[in-house]
Amino acid sequence: MLDIIFAELVVAAIITFFVREKLAAIIAFFISLLPLLALLDWASNYGFAIINLGIENHMKIYLAGVTLHLAITPLSWFFALMILPLFPVIMLYSYSFFKENDGFFALMLLSLFATFGILLSRDMLSLFLFWEMMSWSSFLLVYRSKDKNAIMSYLIFSVFAAFAILFGIIILWHENSSLLLSDILNISGKLGFVAIASIITGFAVKAVIMPLHAWAPFVYSKCDEPFVAFLSGGLSKLGYYGIFLFLFSLKGVDILQNYMTNVSWNYLLAVFGALSAFFATLIAILQDDLRKLLAYSSIGQLGYIAIGFGIGTPLAITGALFQAFNHAFFKAILFLAAGIVAYRTGKWKISELGGLAYKMPFTFMATLFAIFALAAIPITSGFASKWLLYEAAIQQKYVFIAPIMLIAGVGAFLYSFRILYGVFLGENRHDSVEEAPKSMIAALFILVLPLIIFVVFPGYMLDLMKPALQAAGIESIAHTKFAIETSLAKYNSIAVLITLMVAMIPAFVIYKARKHRVTSFEDNYLAGEPYELHKPAMHAANNYYKPLKKVLLPYLEPGATYYFEKIYNGIKCVSNAVRRIYTGYVQDYAIYVVLFLLFVMGWLIWI
Amino acid sequence: MDMIGIAIKITILIAYAIIGTCTGLLFMGIGRKIVARVHNRVGPPFYQNFIDVAKLLSKKTNISHGWIFDLALLFSISGILLTLLFLPIGGVQLLSTDGDAFLVLYLLAIPSLGFALGAGASGNPNAGVGVMRALVMMLSYELPFVITLIALMIYYDTTSLATIVRMQSINGIKSWAITMPPFMIAAFAADMALQGMLMEQPFDIPVAPHEIASGPMVEFGGKYLGSLMLYKAIALVAETTLFVDLFLGGGVVAHGNFAFVINFIVWLALIFLLFALSILIAASFPRFRIEQAFGFYWKYEAIIAAISLIWVYIMVIK
Amino acid sequence: MVIHPVLLIAIPLITAFIIPIFKKYGAAIAGGAIAFNMGYAIGIFFHVYSNGKIYETIAGFNPPIGIFLAIDSLSALLALIINLFAFINFVAIGKEANYKFSMLYLLAIAGSTGIVITGDIFNMFVFFEITAVASYALIAGKKDKKALEGAIKYMVLGSIASSFILIGIALIYSQLKTLNIYDIAARIASMDAKIKWASFAMLLTGIGVEAEIFPLNGWVPSAYQGASEGVASLLSFAPSKAAIYAIARLMLVIFPFHATYEIALWVGVITLLIGELAAFMQEDVKRMLAYSSIGQMGMILIAFSLASQDLKYALIASLFLIVSHAASKSSLFLLSKSEKMHGMASKYAGIVSVLSLIGMPPLAGFWGKWYLMLAAMDEKLWLVIILIFFAGIVETAYFARYLHRSIGNDGELSLRYKATMAAMASFAILFGLLPLVYKIASLPLWGG
Repeated sequence: MLDIIFAELVVAAIITFFVREKLAAIIAFFISLLPLLALLDWASNYGFAIINLGIENHMKIYLAGVTLHLAITPLSWFFALMILPLFPVIMLYSYSFFKENDGFFALMLLSLFATFGILLSRDMLSLFLFWEMMSWSSFLLVYRSKDKNAIMSYLIFSVFAAFAILFGIIILWHENSSLLLSDILNISGKLGFVAIASIITGFAVKAVIMPLHAWAPFVYSKCDEPFVAFLSGGLSKLGYYGIFLFLFSLKGVDILQNYMTNVSWNYLLAVFGALSAFFATLIAILQDDLRKLLAYSSIGQLGYIAIGFGIGTPLAITGALFQAFNHAFFKAILFLAAGIVAYRTGKWKISELGGLAYKMPFTFMATLFAIFALAAIPITSGFASKWLLYEAAIQQKYVFIAPIMLIAGVGAFLYSFRILYGVFLGENRHDSVEEAPKSMIAALFILVLPLIIFVVFPGYMLDLMKPALQAAGIESIAHTKFAIETSLAKYNSIAVLITLMVAMIPAFVIYKARKHRVTSFEDNYLAGEPYELHKPAMHAANNYYKPLKKVLLPYLEPGATYYFEKIYNGIKCVSNAVRRIYTGYVQDYAIYVVLFLLFVMGWLIWI
Repeated sequence: MDMIGIAIKITILIAYAIIGTCTGLLFMGIGRKIVARVHNRVGPPFYQNFIDVAKLLSKKTNISHGWIFDLALLFSISGILLTLLFLPIGGVQLLSTDGDAFLVLYLLAIPSLGFALGAGASGNPNAGVGVMRALVMMLSYELPFVITLIALMIYYDTTSLATIVRMQSINGIKSWAITMPPFMIAAFAADMALQGMLMEQPFDIPVAPHEIASGPMVEFGGKYLGSLMLYKAIALVAETTLFVDLFLGGGVVAHGNFAFVINFIVWLALIFLLFALSILIAASFPRFRIEQAFGFYWKYEAIIAAISLIWVYIMVIK
Repeated sequence: MVIHPVLLIAIPLITAFIIPIFKKYGAAIAGGAIAFNMGYAIGIFFHVYSNGKIYETIAGFNPPIGIFLAIDSLSALLALIINLFAFINFVAIGKEANYKFSMLYLLAIAGSTGIVITGDIFNMFVFFEITAVASYALIAGKKDKKALEGAIKYMVLGSIASSFILIGIALIYSQLKTLNIYDIAARIASMDAKIKWASFAMLLTGIGVEAEIFPLNGWVPSAYQGASEGVASLLSFAPSKAAIYAIARLMLVIFPFHATYEIALWVGVITLLIGELAAFMQEDVKRMLAYSSIGQMGMILIAFSLASQDLKYALIASLFLIVSHAASKSSLFLLSKSEKMHGMASKYAGIVSVLSLIGMPPLAGFWGKWYLMLAAMDEKLWLVIILIFFAGIVETAYFARYLHRSIGNDGELSLRYKATMAAMASFAILFGLLPLVYKIASLPLWGG
């Protein structure tokens, strides 16, 4: 079945390249449902039990003389569950988003192909191969943006990540004399440490952990929104998939820890995650470009996953996976909604937008819900994941990480409100704007569903990830359908929801007791004077967090990008120096030839 | 749990919701009186706020700015009641076994967010500026507050407020957190944070009376303003109760059959003291600008809180 | 099937001398000859692929006396690459070609093919001369100042190189009295050590000039920049590949010593670094591609030097790198005719070529890098691995800049031209997907 899906994806990618945009979207939508069906099929055949797939059960692909091993495992199943649903939704959304078919659908299908491949890889070569396919297929999507910074930073960081992963993989290959993931890593000491650290670094680039995030703001803010939704929602999770695979499934943690027992390497990952969460949140607060804001918000929210993996207790890992799942959905909603806003108004700057909520109520509602999830308001599943992470940090007494996480959580309120207020509330500046096309709205609300389901039943999410955790030897934490219990406290989602509903009753009584009439605020605010008379400021969206900016900015500069640029300029200097070797005079070149001859002779004869 | 148990629980919850609301309104009235006395005025009667709320809620002219504006009313009242019920009050756990301090922190955000939505939907730029200030203020005071919170959590090795209260009430007043040196420091930091939470001077720039046309609630009137006053009253009780639960053993001094009456009175006294303290501070200090407040909390307060956290951490790992 | 590898050399050579008679149809005749050659090279390739090595003696004398052509898997692949791309390239540029150009083109192809299939070191020298002289003329054929400058630089260094090659051969002949490569290899141990090393140094230097090794590659940027697109493309897949093949023969067969391996390895690493770094800041597209070629040749040299240490992956790596470089660079040189990539075909060609060069799967360049890493890991050459990674990132940076700069729709390329570019780039995909290169690299080599 898997090989058929792979083949169909490639064929569909080629077909969608040549057909008209609507047809391409329809084909892409249905084809991208296929991998999901494979998941369901697997779940119905094997249930959620863990099966140890022997090498003979692997699907094999023969390519350029080597064999690739593919199979579904509980871990890949869980990650597929959070990443693959994004594809049909994005295709549905893109049905009306694109005016002409210039290869978007084909490339998205290739990305899906590569994603599926990464998740199914059971040997390191195929993992790397599909990883690289993912890199270039997403690069080509970035390439469509025609933005220099985005193109260059994405490609350079991707290749850096690839080399870091490759470096680790070849060490593991050499020491284990096998590329199969099912062979337990038999490596220790310095080599093992270097290999695992290098692989984690590589995956951290796609997982946008600071300071390897420098590409993300450029890329997220310049590419097509449906693609960015996948980039932030899906691709970053693949980075965390890799980290999970090597740290926990393959017991990389022990390899790191055995090399240097007195340093907690895990903790280092958590610290980087916490710094990502903290600084990215502060930077996001100060952004005016909607896409940049969402980009930094992504970096911040993804930082929590890194914290969870870094803390490394069952509680923390559960929280991290839950957070990964939530993030895939709410961040996709936010990027897609941002795309809708731009699709209707053509503007990205928050200070130029405003008042869209009454024009696009459904977009606003989906965004509001996604923002509740992002800000971890306990009426969405976003709370449960953050709560698990906080609990884990307190349980481990991580007194540095816990406050940083919490304050970053508060910071999330600030930029969330920036989006709500700057884009959707306040003065309406776009009279002729309509609600988005139905397919886009449908896409948004499909993504809202899991956020609702798992706030009512957080226990189900824990059930879903249980096989993956067990396969990695991590015990699952105590939970019922509605409640999660840790050694520190208990969270009962249904108590919160029911109480909220009951508490709504007095509020509703007050609301209904007296009638109200709806008035345009201009009548109140301008007190009947015509607007043209004084042209007063109507929307406080420009430079919104000005006081905060004044205080924070000195601490946030120069930023990681500055240092990467310094490295780039350093290489430029070296390059200029190297070019001087080629003087342009053929006499010099002749001398080089003779010198080279003497050098080789000297080396061979006298040394 | 049988049906009668549930019925009793629901009755208790409703009772506490009503008690919380009335206490809040009462305190606000008394607060106005105290401030008036400090200013050498007579001031309104202590029940003035009941009258105000009743008047506002029964007004016949109410101006709304659309359904998002209405969300402010719905979310602010329901959210703050929800928060109140997840706190242990005077040793009565209410719903606090189903959640913990983190949940309370995030539940507190529901009414604020609803309120902010409504303010934003009103379209008045002054409201937008007010919400911005409120949010920055929130970011400011939360840092010292969460640090002290974490200090308590790692000391008691729990995040549940119910457990924290229980462990502090084992030996009555002697086992209150505030009796321990590190938590004295922490309590100071947390009290300053409380000042910000209550939006009292010197941290009242978000609402900033007499400065920016009353800030976020500029467009609110009638039932909307009334519900906001209710929200403010309940929030006052919830926030001071949170402090009491964290540092003052939730006001639990007695155990036994009728202990809850004593505990209730102690709790009432404690939150009143806290409120009175905050009012007195408010009456005697001028207002911080927003960046000054931010600097105050993130520099001095955070350092004070961090000292207590480190102290506790050293105690715990020993 | 009777296989006469000599036809691969004879047909283009003879056609080249016939062309002046039929001036008007020069290009057409040349095209026919190249097409035949391509077909024949494909035939020989698959023959070797399935049946193993071929050798042919000319004029009836057996080696070591007679001239002798030896085709093993390595030669067959190189001959295939050279003739295949020669044909595709000629399709693109043949329309504008006059009879002189066609003649020189045929000579260059004949020479390059000769280098890779001959088993005689003196023949190799002769073919080097043919290739080099044809190349000088081809570069100068554009008749502007830059072209002349490039041609003259190439000629000066090329002449020095030939004299060194000749001296190297003479030194070997003076000792062993034979010119047959495999005969030399068998008796290399009996040579006087100093003369042995001197001859190696001479040969490496001489061939290295053609193979674009640092610091012998002074001519490369100017020559590529000066030459017309078709010629630059030719230079990137024919003479340079033949020359690196010759070095590989030296390394693998005649001088498989540790000292020579070390020299070639480090020369390769330095060539790689210098090439990539020099390309990094280069604004002129053709010069950038030329420097990039230098870097790629350095990488191929590293792969071959590792192959001389009997590392099974290194040979696979070098063949993949050669294929990838030939396909991508020739396509990119053709593309450099227009400033921007306009149209689907040129976009496709440009992107696929770049992706193959920076090593993205499943393109040929990926396998090259992958196996090179495995081979280097087998030898535990940490520094080399890190430096290759560094060079790879530098390469990525300038190719990313290149890709960004060539976004756009202006420019005028004929459809045929674009189609050929795309066809060339397709081979990077094709060889990456098919097991051809992997399988052929596992066949035994002559003398190996």
